Amino acid sequence: MKKPFLIGIGNPHRGDDAAGLLVLDRLKNDFESLKHDGEPAALIDAWQGHDDIILVDAVSSGAGAGEIFELDLQKESLPDIFAQSSTHSFGVAEAVELARALGKLPPAIFFYGIAGENFSIGGDVSPEVEKSVAAVAQSILDAHKEKKHA
Amino acid sequence: MSEEKTGGQKTRTIKVDYLARVEGEGAMLLKIDNGKLTDVKLKIFEPPRFFEGLLRGRGFTEAPDITARICGICPVAYQMSAVHAMENALGLKVEGQLRALRRLLYCGEWISSHTLHIYMLHAPDFLGYPSAVHMAKDHAPAVERGLQLKKAGGEIMMLLGGREIHPINVRVGGFYRVPTKKELQTLVEPLQKARDAALETVRWVSGFDFPDFEQDYIFVSLRHADEYPFNEGHIVSNRGLDITAAQYDDYFEEQHVEHSTALHCVLKDGQKSYHVGPMARYTLNFDRLPPHIQDVAKAAGLGKSCNNPFKSIIVRSIEVLYACEEALNIIESYGMLEKPFIDGAVKAGIGYAATEAPRGLLYHRYKINAKGDIEDANIIPPTSQNQKMIEDDLWQFVTQYMDLPDDKLQWHAEQAIRNYDPCISCSAHFLKLTVDRT
Repeated sequence: MKKPFLIGIGNPHRGDDAAGLLVLDRLKNDFESLKHDGEPAALIDAWQGHDDIILVDAVSSGAGAGEIFELDLQKESLPDIFAQSSTHSFGVAEAVELARALGKLPPAIFFYGIAGENFSIGGDVSPEVEKSVAAVAQSILDAHKEKKHA
Repeated sequence: MSEEKTGGQKTRTIKVDYLARVEGEGAMLLKIDNGKLTDVKLKIFEPPRFFEGLLRGRGFTEAPDITARICGICPVAYQMSAVHAMENALGLKVEGQLRALRRLLYCGEWISSHTLHIYMLHAPDFLGYPSAVHMAKDHAPAVERGLQLKKAGGEIMMLLGGREIHPINVRVGGFYRVPTKKELQTLVEPLQKARDAALETVRWVSGFDFPDFEQDYIFVSLRHADEYPFNEGHIVSNRGLDITAAQYDDYFEEQHVEHSTALHCVLKDGQKSYHVGPMARYTLNFDRLPPHIQDVAKAAGLGKSCNNPFKSIIVRSIEVLYACEEALNIIESYGMLEKPFIDGAVKAGIGYAATEAPRGLLYHRYKINAKGDIEDANIIPPTSQNQKMIEDDLWQFVTQYMDLPDDKLQWHAEQAIRNYDPCISCSAHFLKLTVDRT
């Protein structure tokens, strides 16, 4: 079966914001993927032509660093709290909802969010986030294996 | 929002944790005592301060890549001001096709940045929607047109800059790599479609309703001998100012204000606020627009100047149209160069530059030593320059709408801020809106 297309969102120079990109680094030999800064218009464009998308992003939700959120975006929206965590007020959550309103959401689109706590310029990735990066990467691999064998 | 009575006085407080649809985050306070506006504060933090510190001790060649990180929306502006300032210090002059390619790159950023603001951030104000997502449900063709237009700008940045966000192909003296003519030709068809979409955008936004709010602004922008300004020109105003970037510090002043870590910029003469951005550029350079675009502007209801900040959305749409046409003109006359940059001997000196970011004048000043290391850097983004102007607009505008209920007053105050497309990512970090009525 066709593998999902991975889009990792984040800024590699802002501490935990790099989480989505680090997940992609772990899976670069297993999946087609794209590192993205989350700019909405370009993001909507990036997933056109793909039927199965996995978005991986850092979130700032008030949850403890490293907490993992999993959402099936065909069935549910990203919580507003994630939308507000963008450094630009028009971010990933808005891109998803805009695409939904325009009928441009891929048939399958799944979201992994990793809660961060340090988003400072030039900051380090928190140890809890690093652990979750590994866990999310493994989860994506396992989910694909399950789908393949189903 | 809250209301209370203390000693016969009426206190109302409106607090909004996030001002929606601006680039970045910050805080806003409006204080109203007994029906009179008594205080307006735009509170912001300013990351570029950190960047200025970060630049010290780094090589002069690193400035364009480091400063591009200041903003994901207008990285080209930071790169352009940085390379021009360094070239000014080194006595280099980039001309011909390299210069044209820089204008082309700037066209991409203007198209992309302005379109984001017009369609996703500003239009919902005029059409009565809380967000572009809500607007998209009723205005899908318009939103799709915006996405198409934005994409065309992004494609220019992608091809010339190496990538759309934080482009990496710009260097002091030119580019690391210049495109082939064939590569640039791939932009022609999307840009022709974008030009049509831009024209349609002008028509669309000119049909919005605009509050009557004409202000006697001091406009400041670049003015070039024969071009609508991107990279080069004198800094001029509608009050007779006409200086080079090297004289900027003699005429403008950054001031620390207690309520904000960001610095306010004022004219030294009279300590007045001033207005940078599309309306300033348009008003000071109307005669530099091609005649047929002047006609489009007139048909959209604009005069030779624009003094109503709510109509800035029309001016942005005119600038998008101009940028699409200018991009097509540059591509048509392009011939690939053998060497993608010019270089010269490193020497100690101070370099100054101002270029026109989508949101207005962006000033850079660097001092470099004989090894080419940066000893001092000063970056003044347009939103810092407009920050006091935004407060002044709020003083005027909120006073007009004082009798409105808090929710409506809040809506109008937010819209008055959004007129400036404030890039608080460049000059701020977190925006809350508080209205305090006593």
